[in-house]
Amino acid sequence: MTTSDYVDAGEAVDQGRLSGKVAGGEIAPPVTENLTYERILDARSEPENWLTYYGTYDGQRYSTLDQINTENVSRIGPAWIFQAGVSGIIAGTSTYSFEATPIVVDGVMFLSGWDGWVWALDGRTGKEIWRYKHAVPFDVSLCCGNVNRGVAVASGKVFFVTANAHVIALDAGTGKRVWDKTYGDVRAGESGTLAPIVVKNLVIVGSSGGEFGVRGHLDAFDVETGEHQWRSYMVPKPGEPGSESWPADGEAWARGGGNCWLTGTFDPETNLLYWGTGNPAPDFDGGVREGDNLYTDSIVAIDVDSGQIRWHYQCTPHDVWDYDSMSECILFERDGRKLLAHFDKNGYMFVLDRTNGERVSITPFVDRITWGAISRDGQVVPKIYPEEEGVEVHFYPGPAGAKEWTHAAYSPKTGWFYVPIQDVGATAARRRREFREGIPYWSAGVAVDIEEAVGYLSAFDADGNEKWRWRNELPMCASVLATAGDLVFAGEPSGEFNAYDARTGDLLWQFQCGSGHHSSPVTYAIDGRQYIAVPVGWGGWAEGFLPGMLGAGHGSALIVFALPEQTPSRGDH
Amino acid sequence: MTTLNDRDALLENLGLDAQNKAALGKLLNTGNIAQASEGADGRMKATVRINPDEICWDPSILVLPHGGDLDLELINDDQNTHCALLPSNGDKKFIWLVNHSKGRASLNLDGPGYYWYSSPSGNDEGRGLTAVIVVLGDVPPEARLDRPDQPRPF
Ligand SMILES: [Cu+2]
Repeated sequence: MTTSDYVDAGEAVDQGRLSGKVAGGEIAPPVTENLTYERILDARSEPENWLTYYGTYDGQRYSTLDQINTENVSRIGPAWIFQAGVSGIIAGTSTYSFEATPIVVDGVMFLSGWDGWVWALDGRTGKEIWRYKHAVPFDVSLCCGNVNRGVAVASGKVFFVTANAHVIALDAGTGKRVWDKTYGDVRAGESGTLAPIVVKNLVIVGSSGGEFGVRGHLDAFDVETGEHQWRSYMVPKPGEPGSESWPADGEAWARGGGNCWLTGTFDPETNLLYWGTGNPAPDFDGGVREGDNLYTDSIVAIDVDSGQIRWHYQCTPHDVWDYDSMSECILFERDGRKLLAHFDKNGYMFVLDRTNGERVSITPFVDRITWGAISRDGQVVPKIYPEEEGVEVHFYPGPAGAKEWTHAAYSPKTGWFYVPIQDVGATAARRRREFREGIPYWSAGVAVDIEEAVGYLSAFDADGNEKWRWRNELPMCASVLATAGDLVFAGEPSGEFNAYDARTGDLLWQFQCGSGHHSSPVTYAIDGRQYIAVPVGWGGWAEGFLPGMLGAGHGSALIVFALPEQTPSRGDH
Repeated sequence: MTTLNDRDALLENLGLDAQNKAALGKLLNTGNIAQASEGADGRMKATVRINPDEICWDPSILVLPHGGDLDLELINDDQNTHCALLPSNGDKKFIWLVNHSKGRASLNLDGPGYYWYSSPSGNDEGRGLTAVIVVLGDVPPEARLDRPDQPRPF
């Protein structure tokens, strides 16, 4: 038989060309070409867009859009649905989850999925404009799910990270790769899950992998060229400031954790990034890392130009409960004072002076806290933790925290914070193990409570006084959105997407989305019509925050809501 | 009990090495292993084929020395139509492979790690047309952690 006997099957094509959506590849309108740092800085002045991860640099997750309000929210319904279901075998099938925050620029939505997917969609119809798929190795170390929290967009480019720790710039028009840098070591168990943030000429990303005994870091790259600008390690080397909080002998610091696995916030006046860091490693065996273990479980203020740490505040010194402090730092002002608020996994709300890290107040925000106590003057007294080898202890909150990575919102209109709360405990027993690179380094057997897990959505004032509470039979595991329509939006693990009255906590509207919520809803407007968008798809590290729902369907849809088109605009009624 | 050395014979005896013997399909991961070759320009090259009545990619484990570009030749010697959906940076690559056809795919993989591919048609995947590309190597030095060498698994 000769070669000429073969039928020529040609060259393999991009799968997207066979999707019925991208006929030969389409181009997004050039909406991001003039998306500069100055515009992102002033993002609140263009509420029709959602320009950066939290909507604005201050992390408030608040929009001044008010077409949808307490009067009419009961009439919103689906405007369009994007179904992201995919073919082929993926990494982390059992743990994939839709956790992204959509970015919207002048009618175009940029969105990432799990497993290396990025899409540009028409924000009015949901029609796919282009897609990008990064090939994610099947055996990538996931810490702790096949998830991605979104993209950053600036100057004609879309930036995102991959599970195998690349940071990639795509052409926002075509979805084609412009540059691609590796910023983590997958052999050591590092990965990437966060949404990048663009500040000035820098795109800033952090590492994931705290459960594998890595050394957490934050990296900055040049927006245009991808050239590496700085790296800031969150565990000091021997001799560096903070290294006295690690054992002097041995290499505990070299595997110490402190990953920056969620997006930080930024204040142009202080020129500081406010970034939460993850747990120390090993998670539960403090005996091999005596000391406070800086800068794990800390709020770290970093000079954005140099990457240098200016100040830090540690929320859980010498953590032995897996209480990462990676969650958002919401910037707000009160009595002329520049403050930040942080709802920690350990169950306490921290308010700090963001110019210098000074403690302003510390208040518990969940009912059950048994791991220890933090007094108002900041003294931390541990009470229950895995100490004796093999001896089980039970504590609240469990390792997913009273609030995990999903975000609170702050309304400058009410002056209140809206917080998704998980009231769940766990049992852990220390099991010391030798460290091996790239192998999970927990040093405990842990089981999160299945039977008794509840949650609520609470509003707090800046002093930590609870203003209202909406109770749920399940923990609340999705980010909150606040709007000038005096509305608060939050999804439930069981699939309901809810709108509440921001002042009373009354439930005003509910829609069953068909899969649980573990993402971050946003709002935007096109041609004067306001939309609420929410990625839906249960999963991720469910064994950590809600093992009672490990069997729930995953889902992979983005659902966008609006008022019926014929609805008169606000003021007409 | 048998030892590892008996693997091929055991698969044959049990009828797990071909379609519709003991099991309906050919069991996953029972195929051959091969390495890609590397050209002077750093591009890698390999051929995978579907042999008649085997429902198996040959090799079913293809090993690349490092991440980068792979020029893959795909040959279908089977008497049925199959296809391939392959991992690649940018988008997955798809190709139809009618009976007795030959096609090409150029893939970009940045490893290290391994990547699945398959023939997503008529449950070809479940019946054996599922295979893997293994990318060896390390991430670039600048991406590694600044710390002493750490103990690796034994
Ligand atoms: Cu953790």
